[in-house]
Amino acid sequence: MNKRITLKIAKIEDETHDIKTFTFKHKLNAKPGQFIMITDFEGGEKPLSISDCSEDEFSITVKKIGEFTSRLFQKREGDFMSIRGAFGSSFFISDGKVLLVGGGYGSIPLYLLAKYLSEAGADISVINGARTKNDLVFCDKFRELGIKLIITTDDGTYGEKVSSVDVARKILSNQLVPKPQLGNNDHFQAGAWKRENDEKKKKFDFVYAAGPEMMMKSLQGVIGDIEYEFIFERYMKCAIGICGNCTMDPLGIRLCVEGPVLSKKIVEQITEFGKYHRDATGKRILY
Amino acid sequence: MNKKLRTKFLNAEIKSPLVLPAGIMDMSFSGLDISAKNGAGIVTSKSFTLQPRTGHKGPVVAEFEGGFLNAMGLCNPGIVDGLAETNEFKERSDTPVIVSVFATNVNDFLKLTEYVNTSKGDFLELNLSCPNVFDEFGIPLAASKDEVHKIIKAVKKISEFPVIAKLSPNVYDIVSIAKAAESAGADAICMINTVGPGMLIDTKMVKSVLFNKFGGLSGPCIKPIALKLIYQTYSEVRIPIIGMGGVKSGEDAIEMMMAGASMVGVGTAVYYRGIEVFNKINNEIIEFMDKNEYSNLEGVPKLEKLK
Ligand SMILES: Cc1cc2nc3c(=O)[nH]c(=O)nc-3n(C[C@H](O)[C@H](O)[C@H](O)COP(=O)(O)OP(=O)(O)OC[C@H]3O[C@@H](n4cnc5c(N)ncnc54)[C@H](O)[C@@H]3O)c2cc1C
Ligand SMILES: Cc1cc2nc3c(=O)[nH]c(=O)nc-3n(C[C@H](O)[C@H](O)[C@H](O)COP(=O)(O)O)c2cc1C
Ligand code: FES
Repeated sequence: MNKRITLKIAKIEDETHDIKTFTFKHKLNAKPGQFIMITDFEGGEKPLSISDCSEDEFSITVKKIGEFTSRLFQKREGDFMSIRGAFGSSFFISDGKVLLVGGGYGSIPLYLLAKYLSEAGADISVINGARTKNDLVFCDKFRELGIKLIITTDDGTYGEKVSSVDVARKILSNQLVPKPQLGNNDHFQAGAWKRENDEKKKKFDFVYAAGPEMMMKSLQGVIGDIEYEFIFERYMKCAIGICGNCTMDPLGIRLCVEGPVLSKKIVEQITEFGKYHRDATGKRILY
Repeated sequence: MNKKLRTKFLNAEIKSPLVLPAGIMDMSFSGLDISAKNGAGIVTSKSFTLQPRTGHKGPVVAEFEGGFLNAMGLCNPGIVDGLAETNEFKERSDTPVIVSVFATNVNDFLKLTEYVNTSKGDFLELNLSCPNVFDEFGIPLAASKDEVHKIIKAVKKISEFPVIAKLSPNVYDIVSIAKAAESAGADAICMINTVGPGMLIDTKMVKSVLFNKFGGLSGPCIKPIALKLIYQTYSEVRIPIIGMGGVKSGEDAIEMMMAGASMVGVGTAVYYRGIEVFNKINNEIIEFMDKNEYSNLEGVPKLEKLK
């Protein structure tokens, strides 16, 4: 049962100019990919991914985009927020060779995933992409995990001006082999890439992605026959699987219950993927 | 589906007496489809209005021990887009569909009926009883037997489909309202809509949990009220009743039938027992029938009518 609980904001940290992390002291028992519904009772209850979770605290990391998130940005440490959750499916934890692809604030749920994967002993590469340098999240946190990190920006303000899907395509086909780079220069640099010897070219076991739907759609096209899981967003109201606002066609799966993390087998059957989603009225909105 | 569950509702052949009620898993054709695939004998669309509505701001649901409060606020894509979803469902499924519509006056109900006439729906349900839009529209129409009579009479004149009146439990004398619906020509009654409304308070923030402050109750706590109102209505009207309110198990569904319901709605229980709830309850009904040696649903006894 997911009882509502009202908690004080224990800590607020800036991640970027428009992304903040809010931490609460509470044992949530959430797994990577799951989300909570959060409200201040002033109008709006919104789904947000759990960005970190330990024995006695959890965090959400939020991009300011509209009415609710703007109000959240004005809260102070010590203010109350009311939450329900954790809800939804979580990522499969592989111990193999894995690639994580995050776009924009989509990278938020990937950090907790990377933590779990790292504990499971997976060989992890992360592509963390964003529009500009200022929109990149969690680069330092990924670095702390000691995993292979590739950073890309659409405008070239950090790393190389290249799309994360392009980099993913090259990595998955072993044209490029990411190396562990713990320094500050772990962005995409043409020169930093070289073909490694053959035994390093083991096939990837699993790909995880989170970000704009069109990014995931083009990523799907370059993954080939590797297993994958994507995390999706749809308009959520009840989050308990009764209102039907978040169903995905043609399966009728509820993203708040059977998602937000969906496996390859399901994603391949979803005809609305990359085509449309439904807004708060249930009307179809084309991508 | 087990043959024992086959029944007739008005003139349609139905594979199970269970109905997906309005407002549950019905914002898309695929939500209707998965409910039908999981064993619902009839599915109902969201209550459509002439124009799209975003509904109330969240929180729109609040849980407590006995069930839920909801104040969705009649969110829906509007009759045009809504019927497109209904039609797409009918292209995939032979499960009958009830198209639910909501309006606050005769003219709008007539306009909605004209749209529904052109659709692939099977039944038209008039939601006369949403309790969650009080601020906007005032007392639900289902509170007045004259209004109910007037609207149903007008709609019946032009509807191509059998007309079902969805009634509110939040009235003094539901029987007189059901009778008004019957005498105006309604083909069936659907009852009950959510109860109350009620409220819940967050004691730390001293705020009503629902942003709309008040919301209708659904789930197990309303079952006794539903049973009583269905029984009273069954005693006095001849048209069939779709009974709903807190049904979670086969036993609950049997209780509804004994109280007089021909068909049984299962809404909030989708939360408690998953989308598989329809087949779970279907199987429990069959078990009950086997144990009591009833070979078909018509054999399930009803209570003696109130005198
Ligand atoms: C499972 C899931 C996990 C998410 N995780 C994060 C996260 O970790 N960090 C983050 O910053 N954002 C996350 N989001 C998106 C976040 O919910 C929206 O940014 C937020 O609801 C915007 O609300 P607003 O009032 O500020 O903006 P509005 O102006 O109301 O809306 C802006 C856009 O946000 C989206 N949105 C608004 N309300 C909802 C809703 N109830 N359900 C889904 N989408 C909505 C819509 O696309 C809308 O167009 C997640 C969404 C989902 C579905
Ligand atoms: C989230 C939710 C939304 C609902 N929306 C509608 C609606 O749009 N139209 C309507 O006639 N009834 C609506 N109802 C009422 C249900 O159809 C049903 O009458 C009521 O929930 C009682 O059944 P239950 O206890 O099995 O849920 C809604 C109920 C819930 C819980
Ligand atoms: S948000 Fe209501 S079913 Fe998913």
